[in-house]
Amino acid sequence: MGEKFKLTISGLLAGIFSGLLGVGGGIIMIPIMVSYFNLSQHQAHATSLAVIVPTAITSSIIYGFHGQLDLPIAINLAAGSILGAAIGAKTMVKIPADQLKRIFGILLVLVGLRMVSL
Amino acid sequence: MIVSILVIFVSGLCAGMASGILGVGGGIILVPVMVFILGLTQHMAQGISLLVIIPTALSGAYHLHKEKLIHYRTAFYLAVGAVIGTILSSNFVQMVPGKLLQETFGIFIIFTGLKMIFTKSKKGL
Repeated sequence: MGEKFKLTISGLLAGIFSGLLGVGGGIIMIPIMVSYFNLSQHQAHATSLAVIVPTAITSSIIYGFHGQLDLPIAINLAAGSILGAAIGAKTMVKIPADQLKRIFGILLVLVGLRMVSL
Repeated sequence: MIVSILVIFVSGLCAGMASGILGVGGGIILVPVMVFILGLTQHMAQGISLLVIIPTALSGAYHLHKEKLIHYRTAFYLAVGAVIGTILSSNFVQMVPGKLLQETFGIFIIFTGLKMIFTKSKKGL
């Protein structure tokens, strides 16, 4: 199999995942790029963001078509999110963030358990 | 009203920062926040999340583009697959009951959380 084909299939998986759960899909793409395509963690992260833009545009249109969008809430969240992303992206290049990841991981498990038990 | 605008804004700020620092998308934070704090349905939360991800990812990508970290050739082929994939799943997911979708999302973030706890991030630019 050619590398282009493998990348497209990896993208397909990430895209299915993204639309199904309303997330970007970086969580699928980043490990694949690091493990199979020899990108560094930071390159993979950056590249996944570039993929997420057209993917999220596509999914948003479809969700919106099905009436599952609220523009005022989205704009307000996005305003905070853009500011946060700018701060975060600058920090990401400078720090390893291992400890932070562990704390955040615990938080995610707890929230996940709450969602499953509802 | 002002309080809820502030709550929404701060939620976005935290999601954006986490997205940049931790390498996880804002969606993984945004969706639970919208479901539990803003009281939205799982489907609505996911739809809004995807919309919010667009400017967030754009902003992040812009900064990392300047750091010369984006591998555009790789991004192109991944994006071709990802757009096709999301056309399929975004339409399919509308038929999934909200409760089942929320449980699926819960399982996803439990695994993500465990992975973050036990995986050491690889170093090196």
